[in-house]
Amino acid sequence: MTIALTGPSTPTATAGPARAGFRQAVAAEWTKLFTLRSTKWILAITAVGTLLVTFLSAQSTTHKSHMWYQGFDPTNQSLAGLSIGALSLGTLGVLIISGEYSTGTIRSSLAALGRRDSLFMAKLAVLSAVTLVLGEVLSFGAFFLGQAILSGGGAPTASLGQPGVLRAVVLTGAFLSLFSLLGFGLGLMIRHTAGALATFAGVTLLAPILLKTIGGHPVRFTPAGIFANSVAAVVPQSDQLSATIGFMLMVLYCTGVLVAGSVLLAKRDA
Amino acid sequence: MIVTYGLTKRYGRTMAVDDLSFTVTPGVVTGFLGPNGSGKSTTMRMIMGLDMPDAGTATVNGLAFDELRWPLREVGALLDAKAFHPGRTARDHLRWLAQTNDIPVARIDEVLDIVGLTSVAGKRAGKFSLGMGQRLGIASALLGDPGVLLFDEPVNGLDPEGIRWVRHLLRDLAAEGRTVLVSSHLISEMALTAERLVVIGRGTLIAETSVEEFTARHQAETIRVVTPTPQLMVSALSRAGVRPSVAEDGTIVVEGVPSARVGELAAQAALTLHELTPQRASLEDAFMELTSEAVEYRSHDGAERAPVAIH
Repeated sequence: MTIALTGPSTPTATAGPARAGFRQAVAAEWTKLFTLRSTKWILAITAVGTLLVTFLSAQSTTHKSHMWYQGFDPTNQSLAGLSIGALSLGTLGVLIISGEYSTGTIRSSLAALGRRDSLFMAKLAVLSAVTLVLGEVLSFGAFFLGQAILSGGGAPTASLGQPGVLRAVVLTGAFLSLFSLLGFGLGLMIRHTAGALATFAGVTLLAPILLKTIGGHPVRFTPAGIFANSVAAVVPQSDQLSATIGFMLMVLYCTGVLVAGSVLLAKRDA
Repeated sequence: MIVTYGLTKRYGRTMAVDDLSFTVTPGVVTGFLGPNGSGKSTTMRMIMGLDMPDAGTATVNGLAFDELRWPLREVGALLDAKAFHPGRTARDHLRWLAQTNDIPVARIDEVLDIVGLTSVAGKRAGKFSLGMGQRLGIASALLGDPGVLLFDEPVNGLDPEGIRWVRHLLRDLAAEGRTVLVSSHLISEMALTAERLVVIGRGTLIAETSVEEFTARHQAETIRVVTPTPQLMVSALSRAGVRPSVAEDGTIVVEGVPSARVGELAAQAALTLHELTPQRASLEDAFMELTSEAVEYRSHDGAERAPVAIH
């Protein structure tokens, strides 16, 4: 009735070093991600939303007086729309793992891959690759769109050749990927879609608002603060972290939640 | 081959599985029986590496689950309905599963055909009925053509035709030499499907035996006798060494004697019989009694059997 498979279907003792490992898991995770409508919606909203906000916010700073443009950072202005990506790609990061728990797919995933770290590494790889590419494309896209509108509206513009501009554009795009990894780590730890999303929103949206009231400018250490004021700025203001320091700090945050999340994935009952 | 040895799992203060040791051999369907909450699902999850045991081991073909090189090609499981994303089509679900273990694409269509979901393969799984979801789960278990199969309540949600289909499928799979473990709390269905039984209650092993022996031991056959002269009948039986019980309405119940013998005794005493009916206690009753007592029970004739060698 069932036709036996050709290939390494015989017991493990006779198989070579090959196994259901990273390569197979990555292929499966890629398929999983792109066979869901929600993924396509999130990516579309990110792209459209970013460009729309870039367009509108750049428009609103055109045709102003010379005085108004004192201290104006055209790069920072044109990258403002990428904040949408922070939230939407963070959500993608949460859903890529919390969705498995809420639908029970996690049982299928773990039954298919003997080792739990394969699942973690594969999701990490696919999520990073997708969000990094999208982040950079949108960052450069928003930059050029923003500069085009600014120059047409008599505002100061920036070019990639100027010091700090290319760095700002590249790091901002990569930063979106870090937001998704933050979401992924939180999703691994909390497993609950609603809980993980709420935590992510709390960390990114709420923390800066709450911390504004405390002295010592702690907002500059929050992901959102770093994003807006350190990484997306050509010359961060004196009380903000430098772009490099800020970026490394965010990498540290992400590493923390990812390590915690992967340990919990390995140790906990599914 | 599945072997568990001293498997133990605690949830807080509750002992879900307590020092459970049994072996499931290839070539036969083994029924895993127990009331709800007896630890069947937890045990299966530990075999599949989804839950971590607090003590003991569970191996598939001699290896722990995370040591398997190609898990889906070695063991397939249907552990609960709907272990898939409702937003994904059935075909896409099988596609990513196949990719995890380098299973050829052609196999996807094969298993869809086996379970009868070919026509709805492009439909999103969230639109499936419970029965269709079960079939998708069975397809996932069969995808890697594994030698070991675990099914947790596979007939949940299936109509009688579906139940029969699963029964035949399980027997066919076992006949091909695979190891098949099926859990259920429906003993009558199990008696039709399985050849061996592992019975647990409250997390502990109660019986590890064959269906034939289980039915023989626990389905006591009684004879119901209705006669206009019950007292004479009782005397006739007592003279032959039988101790019957008599109900208030005069119905006599006899145990341990074939109905032919009862008929002959009545004829010898020239008594009239209105009714001579063999009756079997229901398997469910026997099962309930067995699991409620949680009595340790092993082997073919009551003597302690040596532990099964684990190799």
